Amino acid sequence: MTGRAVLAVLQRELVKMLRQRTRLLAAMVRPLIWLLVIGGGFGAVLTADGLPYQQFLAPGVVGMTMLFAAMLSALTMVYDKESGVMRMLVIAPFPHFWIVLAKAAAAVAAALVQALMLLVLLAALGFLDWHNVSWLMLVAALLTVSAACAAMGMLTAAFTRTLDNFAAVMNFVIFPVFFLSGSLYPITRLPAWLKAVAMANPYTYGVDLLKHALLGGMGGSFAAEFPAAVDAVVLVSFTVAALAVACARFSGESAFQPVIRQITGRRR
Amino acid sequence: MSDRGGLAIRARALARRYGDTQAVAGLTLDIAEGEFFGLLGPNGSGKTTAIHMLATLVRPSGGTASVAGFDVTAEGVAVRSRVGLVFQESALDRSLSVAENLSFAGALYGLGRQEVERRAHGLLELFDMAGQWRSPVAALSGGQRRAVDIIRGVLHEPRVLFLDEPTIGLDLPVRRRIWRFIEGLRARNRMTVLLTTHYLEEADGCDRVAFVRKGRLALEGRPRALVDGLGRHVAEFESERPEELEARARPLLGQALRDGPLLLYRWPHEEIGPLAQLQDEVGPLAAGLRVRRPTLGDVFLWVHAGQSPKVPP
Repeated sequence: MTGRAVLAVLQRELVKMLRQRTRLLAAMVRPLIWLLVIGGGFGAVLTADGLPYQQFLAPGVVGMTMLFAAMLSALTMVYDKESGVMRMLVIAPFPHFWIVLAKAAAAVAAALVQALMLLVLLAALGFLDWHNVSWLMLVAALLTVSAACAAMGMLTAAFTRTLDNFAAVMNFVIFPVFFLSGSLYPITRLPAWLKAVAMANPYTYGVDLLKHALLGGMGGSFAAEFPAAVDAVVLVSFTVAALAVACARFSGESAFQPVIRQITGRRR
Repeated sequence: MSDRGGLAIRARALARRYGDTQAVAGLTLDIAEGEFFGLLGPNGSGKTTAIHMLATLVRPSGGTASVAGFDVTAEGVAVRSRVGLVFQESALDRSLSVAENLSFAGALYGLGRQEVERRAHGLLELFDMAGQWRSPVAALSGGQRRAVDIIRGVLHEPRVLFLDEPTIGLDLPVRRRIWRFIEGLRARNRMTVLLTTHYLEEADGCDRVAFVRKGRLALEGRPRALVDGLGRHVAEFESERPEELEARARPLLGQALRDGPLLLYRWPHEEIGPLAQLQDEVGPLAAGLRVRRPTLGDVFLWVHAGQSPKVPP
């Protein structure tokens, strides 16, 4: 019964996403602008071991698309709280933490669909070299990065009461997470304090895993900076921890606290 | 999905505190299976909080309650699978169609799309809305949206239906249609209904009502019995000098209920001659006198004023 409910939440998310064509178009255009404008500008002065800057930027913009798609999808949780759909969900006959998990699954789906669309677009435009792509790594990267971004989104949504805070979330969560991640430049040679911030950012490891997947062994100082296994462990651990906190937090007012507490080990 | 036998709703000293505010202060209720029960009271008297506790959405800070035989605190999922709740505010996604909303709602209860469509069509017909299946919710009128909201609440055929101010802000024909709909559902599957409402004339149809005041049950009983208990008549004096009039009338009528320029009195006798006589006596003090049968609204006024609505000896 819960399975059908999760599917319904997923389906609603995808229907709404595909119906909002302009937003979907914007989601495809945004990374291309970064690639063409920022990538074109820096590309004129930067290469590393024959890898043009624009190719270095490709994993970064794929990650960016997933980050934005998952965060925006997760934040519809806040919209749902206001629109009334959350009322349908809280009165439904399953433990409330399933609402968080279902919405997270929907955010993952949104991120995956958009990432795949962008990958096709990038390949068609020549920003991706298929010969460098490690397919197994790409599947792993897409899944773990979208899950981590969705978890980050649920964590943010759990602490965002109204849509008024939306701009604040954009400015103080999504942008810093993106800029301080190694998407735009390698983090190894950053000043110590910036490097420390970047290394504390779980999304950094997502971008790194995408570099493993899309750049292969290419790029010298533009190549991935951590072992792929480290990236995967950090992403999965963060996902589990963030979802656990979001579940606990979201169930704050419900009568379902005892079970939530059992699962998350959280005491109130 | 079997119920545990016995009462549909059983609450014992159910309480909820929000900070310094005691929203519900020890509510004790027994509602039998199939009963139509009205919880009446002014805004902020704790009705909604009580419903939310019974529907497992708000955790009680004291007392116990069970719905369909399941404890609201320990067996929340079992309770939720047996109840329907129509919230005061809409629980629909306005950007989706009626079909999408109801399919989504049905799926949350494990109902497949075809089953939802079959049930929904039957229910929509009762509201003359069979043609609206594909309409976006945003394109419906307020009354139609409310109808879809109610259909959403009963799609899974709950044993207990909570209606929190279901007809608020709707015009009379729509309200009547909603009541006929609920009546039909009750007749069909012996569903228990717990209603909160401001429209006291709607509560006349309840098997039993309870007045809530400051988070407590102030009075409970069959609507007819409560109205009869108030007296045979209610006398309304209109006066520009109500204090003087009240002093003059006190020996005959006892304490008055002040309602703006009106003084309301209960009159336990069928014979109303003495009232007319009193009007002559007080002369110009009384601008008007109206003697009428009491209603549930009068019971509400007396309860709200904190006076005992029982007939004085």
